[in-house]
Amino acid sequence: MNVRPVTISAAHRTGIHTGVSRVSLAGLIVMSTFGLLALLAPFLAPTAPNTLSAPLQPPGSAHRLGTDDIGRDVLTQLLYGARTSLFIAALSTLLSSLLGLLVGLIAGVFDRLGFVLLRVADIFLAIPRFPLIILMAAFLRPGLPTLVLFFVIFGWPRAARMVRAQVLSERHRAYIGAAKALGASHTRIIVRHLLPGTLPILTVFAVMEVQHVILAESGLSFLGLGDPTIRSWGLLLSNAFRFPTTFITDQWVWWALPPGLCITLVILALTAISFALLDNAAFVS
Amino acid sequence: MSYRIAQYLFIIIVLLTLNFFLPRMMPGDPISYLVGDPGADAPLLMTEEMRQNLLRYYELDRPLGEQFQRYLSNLLRGELGWSISQNAPVAQVILGRLRWSLLLGGCAAAIYVPLGIVLGAVAAWHSTTPAGPAILGSVFFLGSWPSYFLGMLFIVFLSLKLGLFPIGGATSTLSARSGVLWSLVDVIHHGALPCATLVLGNLPGIVLLVHNSTMGLLGHDFVRAAKAKGLRQRRVLIKHVLPNAMLPLVTMIAMRLGFLVAGSVTVEVVFAYPGMGALITTAGIARDYPLLQGIFLIIMLLIVGFNLLADLLYTRLDPRVRATL
Repeated sequence: MNVRPVTISAAHRTGIHTGVSRVSLAGLIVMSTFGLLALLAPFLAPTAPNTLSAPLQPPGSAHRLGTDDIGRDVLTQLLYGARTSLFIAALSTLLSSLLGLLVGLIAGVFDRLGFVLLRVADIFLAIPRFPLIILMAAFLRPGLPTLVLFFVIFGWPRAARMVRAQVLSERHRAYIGAAKALGASHTRIIVRHLLPGTLPILTVFAVMEVQHVILAESGLSFLGLGDPTIRSWGLLLSNAFRFPTTFITDQWVWWALPPGLCITLVILALTAISFALLDNAAFVS
Repeated sequence: MSYRIAQYLFIIIVLLTLNFFLPRMMPGDPISYLVGDPGADAPLLMTEEMRQNLLRYYELDRPLGEQFQRYLSNLLRGELGWSISQNAPVAQVILGRLRWSLLLGGCAAAIYVPLGIVLGAVAAWHSTTPAGPAILGSVFFLGSWPSYFLGMLFIVFLSLKLGLFPIGGATSTLSARSGVLWSLVDVIHHGALPCATLVLGNLPGIVLLVHNSTMGLLGHDFVRAAKAKGLRQRRVLIKHVLPNAMLPLVTMIAMRLGFLVAGSVTVEVVFAYPGMGALITTAGIARDYPLLQGIFLIIMLLIVGFNLLADLLYTRLDPRVRATL
C-alpha cells in the first residue's frame, strides 16, 4: 500500500476541514452508540436471543420490529447482531494491529530481518483475501475463532507495511540521534520514541480494517457461507433476503431493512472517521 | 524484476497447494453429500461396497500425494476435472458462466473508470469551492452501501414497486419476441441494475486516487504556466494535469480488472445473475470439489495475473521505479 503525502493547505485555508471534522464527529457518535447498544444488548433486548413466538408478526407493542420466519424477535436479533459483528471486527483488528505493529517495528529497525519479514508480508498481501475467504468458508464452514484467525492472518501485513514505512521515515531524524547519543538503549528508543510516532498511521489502518472485516463477515453470511449459529447482521439480512415472501409483502421493511441499514451506517460512520484521521495526519493511502 | 516474477510464481504455487488441500480438510466427502448422511431424514441406501466403488471411480481413494501429482499434471494439460454436481467438464461449466461475469464486470468497468476519472479531476480542481467536497462526499456516501444491500434496495424500489427492471437473471426465459436487437435490449435491461450497483461500489477508489494525484500536481509550475498562458480550465486539466495523474491510475485499473469476476460475487447472487458468483454458492453447497477448485483457480489466476501486469506496466511507464525494484 503506497502512502503519499497530500497537499491539504487548500482545504485548511477554506472552512472545509471544519466540515470534515463535523462529519467525523457524527461518525464517532454513531460508532459509540452502536458500541453501547452492543454492550448493553442483554439488558436492552426485549426477549432472550432464541425465544420463539408467532412467526412473521408485523411490528407491534410486543415486538417493536416484528418477528422473523420462525418467530424470533427482530430487534433482539439486531442488538445481538451488533454484538457479534462489532466483536469480530474489533477482535480481529486489535490482533492484526498488534501483530502488524510488532512486525513493522522490528522490520523498520533491523534491516536484514526486516527484509525477510517484508517478503513474507508481500506474499500475504498478494493473495486476494475475499475470494480466499469465500473458498475457505465453502469448504471448512468456519466458526468464530477460525474466522477471526483468518482475518488476522490476512490483516497484519498491511499494518506491518504502514508501521514500517513510518518507522523508516522517523529513524534518521535528529531526535533519535540525540537519544542514541544520550546512551538510550534499542528498546528504549523503540518503545519511547518510535512507537508513539506510528500510532496515528496504525489508527488509520484500524479504521479501514474494521470496515473491511464487517463487510467481509456480513458478505459471507449473506452468501449463505457463514456459520448459521453466529448471529450477525449479515445472517439476519440473508435470512430475510432468502425468505420467499419477504419482498412481495411489507416484511422487508422491518426484517431486511434494519440489518442492512445498520451495516451501512457503521460503514458510513467509519468512512467519516477515516476522513478526519487522514485530514489530520495529512496522509492518504 | 526477476524478483517480482519469482514472487508471483511462489504465490501461484501456494495457491495451487491451498486449492488442492483445503477441500480435503473439510468434514464430509462428496459421496456422503450425494447420498445424505446416515442421520439424515431420507438417507439413500448405499452399501459400503458401492461407496468404495464411487470413491475409486472418482479416484478419491488414492494417497493424497498421488492425487496432488495427478491434479498438477492435469492442470498443466488444461484439464480442470469433472464437476460432480453438474455432471459436465469443469472447464465447460466455468466458461458458460464466465461470459456473463465478464460481460457484467466489463460493462461496469467501462462506466466507472471514465466516470471516476472525470469526477476525481473535477473534485480536485474545485477543491476550494463547495463543489469539490460535495462530489467526494456523495461518491463516498453512495459507495459505502454494501453491494448486496444496495442491490436489494434497487430490486425492491425499481423492480418490484416501479416495475422498471426485471428482478433478476440475465435474459428473459419466456418471451414471445426474438431477434438480435430484442435479445440485446433484453440483456441490457437485465444487466442495468447489477451494473449500476457495481459502478457505485467501485467509484470511490478511483475518484479518490485521481483526486489525490491531481491535487498533488495542481501546485506545480507547469500547471501555473498553462494557466498563465490563458488556457481554459478544461484544457489545462485534460492536456496538462491528467496525463501526469494517470500513472498510479493505470496500475490501479489493471489491478481492478483482476477483480472483475471476484468483485461481483455478491452482486451476482443478489440479482440471481448466472455468472461465476452464483456458481460459487451452488458449488459450495453441493460440495463439488473439482468445480470449486476450478472456480477458485480461475479467479485467483485472473487476480494474480493482472497484479503482475500492473507491476510490469508501472515499471514500463515510470522509469524512475525501475531503479528501486
